[in-house]
Amino acid sequence: MSRIEIDGKSVDVPPNINLIEAARAAGIEIPHYCYHPGLSVAGSCRMCQLEVEQNGRKALVIGCATTAAEGMKISTTAERVLKQRQMVLEFLLQNHPLDCPICDDAGECELQNYYMKYGLHDSRVELAEKYRKHKVIDLGPTVVLDSERCVLCSRCVRFLQEITGTGELGIFGQGMDSELLTIPSVRLDNPYSGCVVDLCPVGALTDKDFRFKRRVWYLKKVPSVCQACSRGCNIEIYYDIRHPYKGPGRRIQRLKPRYNHFVNEWWICDRGRYSYHAVDAPDRLTTVQTRSSNGDSAPNIKRVLQEAARAIKNAKEKHGTKSIAVLGSANSSNEDLYVLHRLFTQHLGVHHFDVSLKSEPSGEEDEILRKADLAPNRRGALEIGLRPAASGKFSGDNIIRAALAHEIYVLIVVRHDLSLVLRPEDFNRLGNLDHLLYLGEHESPMVGIAHGVIPIAAWAERDGSYTNFQGRVQRTTQAFPPLGQARPEWEVWRLLGAEVGLTIKAKTAEEVFAELTKNVAAFRGLTWESLIPSGRMLAGVPEPPYRKVRTARPLE
Amino acid sequence: MHRLSVARQHGAYEMLQKALTMEPAQVVELVKASGLRGHGGAGFSASLKWSFVPKDKFPRYVIVNADESEPGTFKDRLILERDPHALLEGALICAWAVQAEAIYIYIRGEYFYPTKIVNQAIEEARANGLLGERILGSDFTCNAHTHPGAGMYICGEETGLIESLEGKKGQPRFKPPYYPAAIGLWQVPTIVNNVETLAAVPWVFRLGPEEFAALGTPKNGGTCLFSLSGCVNNPGVYELPMGFPLDGLIHNLGGGILENRKLKAVIPGGSSSPILTAKEARGIRLDFESVAAAGSMLGSAAVMVVDETISIPRLLLWVLRFYAHESCGQCTQCREGTGWMLRLCKQLLEGKGKSRDLDDLYEIADAVDGTTICAFGPAVAWPTKSYLKKFRHEFEALVRE
Repeated sequence: MSRIEIDGKSVDVPPNINLIEAARAAGIEIPHYCYHPGLSVAGSCRMCQLEVEQNGRKALVIGCATTAAEGMKISTTAERVLKQRQMVLEFLLQNHPLDCPICDDAGECELQNYYMKYGLHDSRVELAEKYRKHKVIDLGPTVVLDSERCVLCSRCVRFLQEITGTGELGIFGQGMDSELLTIPSVRLDNPYSGCVVDLCPVGALTDKDFRFKRRVWYLKKVPSVCQACSRGCNIEIYYDIRHPYKGPGRRIQRLKPRYNHFVNEWWICDRGRYSYHAVDAPDRLTTVQTRSSNGDSAPNIKRVLQEAARAIKNAKEKHGTKSIAVLGSANSSNEDLYVLHRLFTQHLGVHHFDVSLKSEPSGEEDEILRKADLAPNRRGALEIGLRPAASGKFSGDNIIRAALAHEIYVLIVVRHDLSLVLRPEDFNRLGNLDHLLYLGEHESPMVGIAHGVIPIAAWAERDGSYTNFQGRVQRTTQAFPPLGQARPEWEVWRLLGAEVGLTIKAKTAEEVFAELTKNVAAFRGLTWESLIPSGRMLAGVPEPPYRKVRTARPLE
Repeated sequence: MHRLSVARQHGAYEMLQKALTMEPAQVVELVKASGLRGHGGAGFSASLKWSFVPKDKFPRYVIVNADESEPGTFKDRLILERDPHALLEGALICAWAVQAEAIYIYIRGEYFYPTKIVNQAIEEARANGLLGERILGSDFTCNAHTHPGAGMYICGEETGLIESLEGKKGQPRFKPPYYPAAIGLWQVPTIVNNVETLAAVPWVFRLGPEEFAALGTPKNGGTCLFSLSGCVNNPGVYELPMGFPLDGLIHNLGGGILENRKLKAVIPGGSSSPILTAKEARGIRLDFESVAAAGSMLGSAAVMVVDETISIPRLLLWVLRFYAHESCGQCTQCREGTGWMLRLCKQLLEGKGKSRDLDDLYEIADAVDGTTICAFGPAVAWPTKSYLKKFRHEFEALVRE
């Protein structure tokens, strides 16, 4: 620790941190464009200039490239510091097209923010004198560049060199002709390309998915966890439900990464970034359906669950608990899986249950973030006990085989679309079971053959907790209510429990989680609050070592 | 002289032989005693630079900065073309002093002919055991390579040069921490010296440090190559002792001003040095301290003579055009500021200038001065500020409103 003084305020700072971070620790913001804590230091925007007094000598230095040292006296308000900030802003803005009214970044643009805080100068440049550069450059499948808005901070260039190692972008030309562009004949097309938009401090790089969709000041955000793979990257959901007439039905406008030291640092992959489209997809299931209700105007969930309960009771009496099987989902939250487990294995004594199928799709895995296992909560399911551990119990694939061999009479399926793993004639035979209850988010062939269908809430429509591959339990937050009759999965199991004689007192996800921590050893000691903001490791699982997200060989 | 056989007749590589019998630290001490200063522009003590190399970091490199591109400077070319073996010998002595394993000679891209000559000299030296393994029978192994630049002014800045040599865009690195002597080429200790500096090293050994130092002034050892250009009758390169009178250079050696016109101003150290009015320039001596005391800098010792027929605003336009084109574009102030200043200066000369423009020009130059990664900012700010300050009436005459 060394003691430094920032604007008269004494602070102790850890070794080897720069003045921007030191000031941040003291609660003082130092404006900057090119500096980003996840990237190497470029030192080129010159916005973070500070006056530093050391050994009796005062000097103007850049905060990003100056390491805090014992006894430094830093002024962020010295006259020449303020003058420099204003001049840097004036330099950056002199050729800026000032097209804020049509710029997606307006409202979260550091040119706007810093101008209001540190600039407030009148322009000395006539509009006709402005230096023109290229606009609307299609860089790749996800990103569009407007060179006139670019401040040439090189954050994106460094990200692509240092994190993904793909190096698609470079700054070409010199002096006033400097321009960000892709390397000739190369497209900005890698699994993390969307991150360059997050990194861009201005509106130069915009996301094709978000361009011209919403002004950012209409957006609200909640912290959440990405559901696209088992890493569980921390994200923020940006949504707008006040303007349903814009982009019909689209509530989530975008996902942005949220910093988590141990999971994803500042980044998320494109697959995760654009995974939210499923939440507002037109094929969402919104109504409860039963096979016996064909033509019936309004089936309700109670009736569907009563039918299912009757079938479960019948099967249990006639053929024993071995005739009932549950194929849950590793996409369900810890709460869902806990109530499922409580109801079927502890209360009903159901023999066969699993959450996994061998043929589940897997994703690409890399050393940066992406994991091959695409289910966000397989670890949670295992810890809660949803695994075919003991002998004589069927795995997911065997459950299906047994159902086709008439050994299973009642089958409950969550989310899985079995038409993808079965031949059509076999798949249709599943409809001949005594009862097939299906819980899903989306329209699928399962709806056609199930006896009862209950729509469940998407992850953004409910609170929940998920356990990632490391054993870190993290929380998602409800952004908006579920569509139609959809409801969280655990609520369905709670209602079904009521039909078969199991009373579950918990009425909210938080209460379910509290019960879970009492009854499942791996979750002991965790509290709902402690999961915010960055999650907690399961009991007895050591915190993984902090691994700086980097490609195998960083470029020098 | 550029042929090894001729150069050896004049004693080339004898001093290398002598240096190789000395300890590297002794070599540094000897150069220190001579007071040899860098002739690239900053005038930094050569031996001090050599002594900054961290003790335990290897490999090490020596880079010869032959990217001579400061407007008005044309002295290194002469050494490259006429006496490349003096350069090689000096570079090898330097390499021995810092225990470097390779010498890179970074030559500006436009110097096709000098590059050819230097390559030829390297081949000859290698064939005669003066380069490569076990030089002159000692344990010392060192190679030399030339590398042509691609025509960028900023690659003459030592860290920009290193970036360029590494195959990247020539953009200077910020200091700290990238002081080349500690973190240079490929992140290892690197000594970057100007051609003239290294070519003077054999003379330090030949004359002995005391006699070499005595050629110049107490703080400026030896001689200096002055590139005299502009409105004089005999422009050219003059090797003169440090501290030689400016008047003598212009009026005696330079043969006076063209057509006996009146001297208006002198730019004493290349286009980036502040201008001196005829009055300020009178009687000054050409060494680093005296020129600095007069309010300018000796820089690369490119003396440009400006007579009464030259318009200072036009001169500024010429300077700004160069710097706006050559800014690497990394730092905000320099990238945007040079272009902006050029635009204002152009408008002035086109008769569209406003009175506010002069203050703006000065304010912009001030914002670029000393606030950027490298010395390019000051290099454009100093001429601009000094022209405006010392010849403001000429600018004001152009303002219409």
